[in-house]
Amino acid sequence: MKEIELPLELEEMKEYLEEELGDGIQEIDTEEIKKGLKNTPMKLIWLKVDRDDFRNAVKSISKLQIPHLSVTSGSDRGDVIELIYHFSVNYGFPGDEISVNLKVHLPKDDPTIPTITDLVPGAITTEREKQEFLGVEVVDIPDSRRLWLDEVFPEDKYPWRWDDKGMEDQSRYVHDKEEAANPPTAANKRRGEDDE
Amino acid sequence: MSKKDTTYEVPIGPIHPALKEPFMIKFRLDGETIVDADPHPGMNHRGIEFMGMHRNPLKVIPLSERICGICSIVHQHMYTSAVEHAAGIEPTNRARYIRTIMMELERIHSHVLWAGVAAHEIGFDTHLHFTWKIREKVMDLLEDISGNRVNYSMWTVGGVRRDIPPKMYRRDFSPKMYPKIQNTLEYYEKLYDKLEDIFLGDPSIRLRTRNIGILTEKEALELCGVGPTVRASGVKKDVRIDQPYAAYGDLDLDYVIPSRFGYENTGDVFSKTLVRLKEILQSIDLIRQCVKQMPDEDIDSEPKKAALLNKLKKADGEGIGRIEAPRGEALHYVRLKEGLEELDNWKVRASTYNNLATYAPMFLGEQIADIPIIAACIDPCIGCMDRAEIVEINTGEKNSYSHEDLHKLSVRKTKDMLGDEL
Repeated sequence: MKEIELPLELEEMKEYLEEELGDGIQEIDTEEIKKGLKNTPMKLIWLKVDRDDFRNAVKSISKLQIPHLSVTSGSDRGDVIELIYHFSVNYGFPGDEISVNLKVHLPKDDPTIPTITDLVPGAITTEREKQEFLGVEVVDIPDSRRLWLDEVFPEDKYPWRWDDKGMEDQSRYVHDKEEAANPPTAANKRRGEDDE
Repeated sequence: MSKKDTTYEVPIGPIHPALKEPFMIKFRLDGETIVDADPHPGMNHRGIEFMGMHRNPLKVIPLSERICGICSIVHQHMYTSAVEHAAGIEPTNRARYIRTIMMELERIHSHVLWAGVAAHEIGFDTHLHFTWKIREKVMDLLEDISGNRVNYSMWTVGGVRRDIPPKMYRRDFSPKMYPKIQNTLEYYEKLYDKLEDIFLGDPSIRLRTRNIGILTEKEALELCGVGPTVRASGVKKDVRIDQPYAAYGDLDLDYVIPSRFGYENTGDVFSKTLVRLKEILQSIDLIRQCVKQMPDEDIDSEPKKAALLNKLKKADGEGIGRIEAPRGEALHYVRLKEGLEELDNWKVRASTYNNLATYAPMFLGEQIADIPIIAACIDPCIGCMDRAEIVEINTGEKNSYSHEDLHKLSVRKTKDMLGDEL
């Protein structure tokens, strides 16, 4: 393998990822935002890969530097659960850092994703969080206990889901027996579907 | 089992060993030595992200600044810049400078406060009172600028809500009066030598902080640690330099790591203290640069808030706000969806979240009496990290050490160590 010299420019980084992952890439986008009087750029890459190529993508990022994973953000997007791993490369080089936002879509009937704690040991906190908040199953996670939610919180409810596994509306309908029996979900209330 | 297991478990918290915030760490001890540390956060989970996903983007700004009591600016800034990124709004340059000045003032306030807490944990209450007294000066300045001591309510999408008046920073504007910002900076500069003498020169503090709570460079990198916690181990990670935000791209600054000042990058509590103290000097320098370069223009690029709300409702996209908080890198992710008034998604990640994993290697092999200072050395901010409704807290552990017990142990250790010297 040829040695890669850091720091990589934004375009070089894109080419590197395209070369490493090939057809595994579903979408790739670069973004540069200029800031301040000197127009200092903030560089970002948005990358979407299939679940099968996900670990390869993390491996190719970790070939450059010990990867820095800021956090994994996740959300319920209707049919799929979207996870975004916010990595950054080129840290330690003034002004050259690139945020690599790695997106993976997981189908709702099989929301599993392989763990990356063997590649990035610091990912354990965020993987445990995704399990309890989104109902994602992280395969081979070394520690699957709950981290934030209390023991009394129901097992099959996930706060960030907008479907029937999500939270019920928090307000109480004590005066209305019918509504008390079938409380509207938080998602329905949020999107105003109750009114119709 | 051939060998008998001689270890036992000591839960510390949720009523706290080193902080006044609810958090629990379960320690496995062999005699006096810690063999395993397992943090249990979540005692303070308030579901802030969930609440944010049910409000419009402007109503989330005051919510975001209430995530943390010390670094309220940090969360406001990350949230507003993530929304700006998602909607393609540019703040004005003057707003960027005012934001930078406020963030650096907050860094001074946070680091001085931390120094006091650290001194208290090892039994130096005089230092606690000294540092907290000098911290008042920067709090007063923040109050003069924003009108508030803690939650400053300065940020809005597109800029800031209050200007810094020229009489506070320009000498030509009020020749008779001494500008308040320079005045405060000079106050800290004069006191800095004393502060360094207390925390780095004092032999008894050195005894308690040297070679304790060590985090190696490799561990720091692998565990994705952030901020002064990893810079003390020699890791060059600082978002202000790596990926400049606000006005940091215009300023001249360098990584604060111990080897720059002739110390070794050991990653112990002493190095972490050193890094935080040197960052106070760096902040003073940065504010001076900002005051010199600050352009005269509007402070808000979107002054009409009703129009802005409409624009945000039509916006479709995702954005990231990533900054170097006093405790290290932190990040907000926001997604806006066309036609939806509320945020489609909001993720908050504070610095302590990532530094949680660094606890295990730091505690390993240390003694019970060192627990408070090591727990304090990452400057943990549980409010930020937990972001989440207290359902029930079981505090009836009979074998748990209360904060007072631990504090007594820690003070006794300092006295024992000094006994050899006196």
